[in-house]
Amino acid sequence: MADEVLRMQDITKIYPNGFVANKDITFGVGEKEIHALVGENGAGKTTLMKILFGMESCQEGKIFINGKEEKMQNPLDAIAKGVGMVHQHFMLLPSLSVAENVTLGVEPMKHGLFDFEAAVKQTQEIADKYNFNVDARRKVADLSVGQMQKVEILKALIKGAKILILDEPTAVLTPQETEELFEQLMKLRDNGHSVIFISHKLEEVMRICSRVTILRHGRCMGTHDTKDLTEASLSKLMVGRDVVLKIEKEDPTAGKPIVEIKDVVKINAYGKRVLDGLSFTIREGEVVGIAGVEGNGQTELSDVLCGMGGFATGDVLLNSGSIKGKSVRDIREMGLAYIAEDRMVHGVAADLSIKTNIVADRFDKKEFRHGLFMNSKKIDEVVDGYIKEFEIACDGRNQPVRMLSGGNIQKVVVAREFTSGANFILANQPTRGIDVGTAEMIRKTIVRKSRTEGTATLLISADLNEVLECSDRLLVMRKGKVVGAFPKANEVSEETLGEYMLGVKEMTLEEMEGLL
Amino acid sequence: MNKTQKIEVGMELLRILAGLAIAYATALIILFSISQEPVKIIQLFVAGPFSSARRIGSLVNLAIPFTICGLAMCFMYAVNKFNLVVEGIFMISACMVTWAALSVAPANLPAGVMVPLMYVVAIATGTLVAFIPAILDRKFKANVVVVSLMLNSIIGFFCTWILRYKIKDSSISFIGSKEIPESAQMASIFGKFRIQSGLVVALLCLVVVSVLFYKTPFGWKMRMVGANPNFSKAVGLSVVSVSFGAQLLGGAVAGVAGATEMMGNYTRFQWVAPTGHGFDGLLVAVLARRNPVLVPIAALFLAYIRIGADVVNTTGDIPTEFVTVVQGIIILLVAAESFMAGTKNRIIFKEAEKDLKAKEAAKAIA
Amino acid sequence: MCFFKKAMRTAIMNINWIEFFATAVRLATPLVFAALAAAINSKAGMFNMGIEGMMLCSALGAVIFAQMGGVWVGLLGAVLVGLLSGMIISFASLTGKTDLYLTCIAFNLAATGGTVFIMYLLTGEKSTTSGAMRAYEIPQVSIPFLKDIPFIGRVLFQQSLLTYLAAFAVFAVWFLLKKTRIGLRLRSVGENPKAAESVGISVTKIGYIAFAISGILCGFAGAFMSMSWVTFFMKNMVNGRGYIGLSAMNMASANPVGAALASLFFGFSDAAATTLKTQSKFPTEFLEMIPYVATILSIVVINLIRIVKLRRVEKGSAVTAK
Repeated sequence: MADEVLRMQDITKIYPNGFVANKDITFGVGEKEIHALVGENGAGKTTLMKILFGMESCQEGKIFINGKEEKMQNPLDAIAKGVGMVHQHFMLLPSLSVAENVTLGVEPMKHGLFDFEAAVKQTQEIADKYNFNVDARRKVADLSVGQMQKVEILKALIKGAKILILDEPTAVLTPQETEELFEQLMKLRDNGHSVIFISHKLEEVMRICSRVTILRHGRCMGTHDTKDLTEASLSKLMVGRDVVLKIEKEDPTAGKPIVEIKDVVKINAYGKRVLDGLSFTIREGEVVGIAGVEGNGQTELSDVLCGMGGFATGDVLLNSGSIKGKSVRDIREMGLAYIAEDRMVHGVAADLSIKTNIVADRFDKKEFRHGLFMNSKKIDEVVDGYIKEFEIACDGRNQPVRMLSGGNIQKVVVAREFTSGANFILANQPTRGIDVGTAEMIRKTIVRKSRTEGTATLLISADLNEVLECSDRLLVMRKGKVVGAFPKANEVSEETLGEYMLGVKEMTLEEMEGLL
Repeated sequence: MNKTQKIEVGMELLRILAGLAIAYATALIILFSISQEPVKIIQLFVAGPFSSARRIGSLVNLAIPFTICGLAMCFMYAVNKFNLVVEGIFMISACMVTWAALSVAPANLPAGVMVPLMYVVAIATGTLVAFIPAILDRKFKANVVVVSLMLNSIIGFFCTWILRYKIKDSSISFIGSKEIPESAQMASIFGKFRIQSGLVVALLCLVVVSVLFYKTPFGWKMRMVGANPNFSKAVGLSVVSVSFGAQLLGGAVAGVAGATEMMGNYTRFQWVAPTGHGFDGLLVAVLARRNPVLVPIAALFLAYIRIGADVVNTTGDIPTEFVTVVQGIIILLVAAESFMAGTKNRIIFKEAEKDLKAKEAAKAIA
Repeated sequence: MCFFKKAMRTAIMNINWIEFFATAVRLATPLVFAALAAAINSKAGMFNMGIEGMMLCSALGAVIFAQMGGVWVGLLGAVLVGLLSGMIISFASLTGKTDLYLTCIAFNLAATGGTVFIMYLLTGEKSTTSGAMRAYEIPQVSIPFLKDIPFIGRVLFQQSLLTYLAAFAVFAVWFLLKKTRIGLRLRSVGENPKAAESVGISVTKIGYIAFAISGILCGFAGAFMSMSWVTFFMKNMVNGRGYIGLSAMNMASANPVGAALASLFFGFSDAAATTLKTQSKFPTEFLEMIPYVATILSIVVINLIRIVKLRRVEKGSAVTAK
């Protein structure tokens, strides 16, 4: 092993809500190394990296760069010490050009003014050096996700980053784009850079990383050479038990159509057709999965179905009634339950109590009222029942939701949505960023409800494992259209899926006959 | 309640008290540094409000409009709309009540009919005026702060016009309306304290608004919309309707405030510009953390420093305006998230550490 | 109704149109500064309601500093006070993390009373105007040759020095936003503060800079109020002009040139009120309402246009693309 360029020593970070994100974590990265940082969602990887990049402060611990102790007060310190970070959610300015994005913070100047031409030149030079194929003059808003990620990496490189942190870089990429990224990472490594690669995709870790550090519940479980590990042993270290990726389920008995999406077109504020003549049906008792690279219309589809966003033409029928022009309330009355993509934005009101959050969609129904006033006793009873049923770990129904862990917050969401009596569940990223136990509970409940209660479910997820295992029928979305449909989700390989997601292959309407 | 929650509640209280203490101390320092006789002036400022039954009475009388306006602002603030039209409504409601009282004076209605009738006029006026910024916000997304401020200026001119052309008493030397009929003048209560009977109205408002906030579906909806509008929309609330409704209700309460002040404290309408009660209401609502139950306490505190400043003004020759600076400081300190946040986080960190150690010790034993 | 018509006709006939236009340009001056200040804040992602109070403080600052060394010291003082006001607001909202709306409302409240209080401290008189202090006026400058052009010469080229400065400031603010590094960083903070933060641009620092620039602009606006519009300070003399400037910026989506044009429009409504008051038998109360009514109406109209446009994009192109 070459010299150690980075060492983080005994890092402890406790959030203001009392959540212990990191506890006495120690790990080191060598020169010319791709070092993996793995752990379940919520294990503290991102927090640890934000501390390294100066975006979060830690209460205890030291950071050494090339053996010298450094204080990372803010990203500027980190950049000055040669640390660069590519965030999970891109930090880009869509209205500006690639060159402006890349040079922001280290803008070339001429006569005291910003020199755009020089910025273009610098960007192009560094892009050519590492074989990144991007046009420096283009607006970032017009780029694909893969290209945006390249811009992010260029941003770090132009500032002289020697240690590059990549936070779940492959989460938003197709398999083919992932390949390209890996090649570029190896090239960077050979040029003398060190890379910290955060992922929970074990085969990627085994392929490109030489060493791996494992985090579990905010604690460090040690650093190992990947050659000493197998995927199975690594996953055991991560979760402390074998990961159950299979969900046992019998074949669906698909009944009458519950949701019929007919030729829906949605155009966004920039005039782009984000849903482009989308049509498919979800039947009673089946789970339909939607796979696709993020930003291909999934969010818009979810908005249309739950009534948060309108659409231009076409129609959507829910239990035979059109939802066009209907409010969220109306659509919920018609039979919708909705697990939102971003739970802190659409799923809960963080400052309000667990009680309020659980009955948020139904507290003004007759059963919860005494005439004009609320029936507190009834509400308390019902809520306490759900807290027990969904095993929400809390100090009582009046605790503000923001004090709970991510998994427990999601339990509050599903306690509401799974009990609303709806026969259509729209689940958008239902298990993103939560612990394995809760994720498993949610997935199993979705499948169970479809089998025993005949619920129709639309499962939109960036977690391919999840869509492949939970869904009965699988659709692939690209550019606002369905480009692939498979009758049995668990028989589709990730490779095939990737080809449709990326647009290498596309099914014709005839091929998808009967599958939409 | 768990530990973190307890720390949060305790710190919140401590923070508000510390904010008030700092602001109060600032007031004292200002007085101390500019006065010829600092000791006397500070004595007047601190103890003045309690120095006579009359002054205690005026303290309570001042707290009455503050309370009702604070309750009105709670509605706006609850749904995160800084609709400042309460300021204008306070004035126009008093103006309309005067006009209406003078118009129906020939009918010689008994007080039992007159006063409720005037409140109907006030509530209608308040709701109607609040409707303007609320509907412009709802239909056209017009910035509610800017619109309400512009509207306040318009209302100021409008009321002056009514006063000068419709209800003016030309027999008096100053600009003022004719006297409103006796049946519309609400009597003072508690003898020498001369507390206006609007106290009853204020307490009634307090009860009604608190019940509305915490015991009715609409109150729940308002608090949900205030806490997270996106979430409220996703669970099926109509965010625009709820915040629209809240603003109308706030307007109605503001109307009650204006009418109470007019009928309880004056015999003639004589304002030619908005009175600032709306902004006082905002200050009270901020201090009370948009919780109606706490509004009267905040209102009493504000009335206390105002009366103190008044006493200083009349006996000590220092203009009352210095209090506005103190009020600004109070709003900033109470609303500032980072004020004492560091202390709070340190305490929580220590507690979490302790918890961890205890858990680990327990594990080691097991 | 007939009376109103007649009053209106006589009013319009009696108006000196050249003077009317000149007054409109003059009255637009503080609005242009205010709108530019608001634009700078807005580009950095902040809706600055505090402009009203910042202008008021500067207006007082101008009068006080002028006592020490004349009109230019007064102008400098106004700018310094504007800068200081900006720093106070940014300290409370950026460092103290107070809701910006609330900060600004609190600041405006404190400014209304505070200015009167400071006046008392300096003069020892409980008065709402600075009558006790000497009056100073920013000089009018007539531009040679250009001033002789009929109509335009009087309207555009015989104005207060600050009016020309306002015109220059429009260009300066545009240049700052488009061509300089600070401008680029300011816009990046406004568009995506997290992205800016991640490349080491301090959002707080940029916020302070934005407030410093808008403070300076408000300083000029305030100086115009107390050394050109009138030559003394009085309580609440800004009287909503800060908010009107803010609306002008809002109408133009923070584009400096558009904001200046919108300000000019509001200058006309102000001039209409002022001119008609002296010319007609209209109740003055209704004339005084004109600028405020105009502001509300234009906010409504501009937002309506925006909403219709957005709907047309979402619906209209769906048809054409088919």
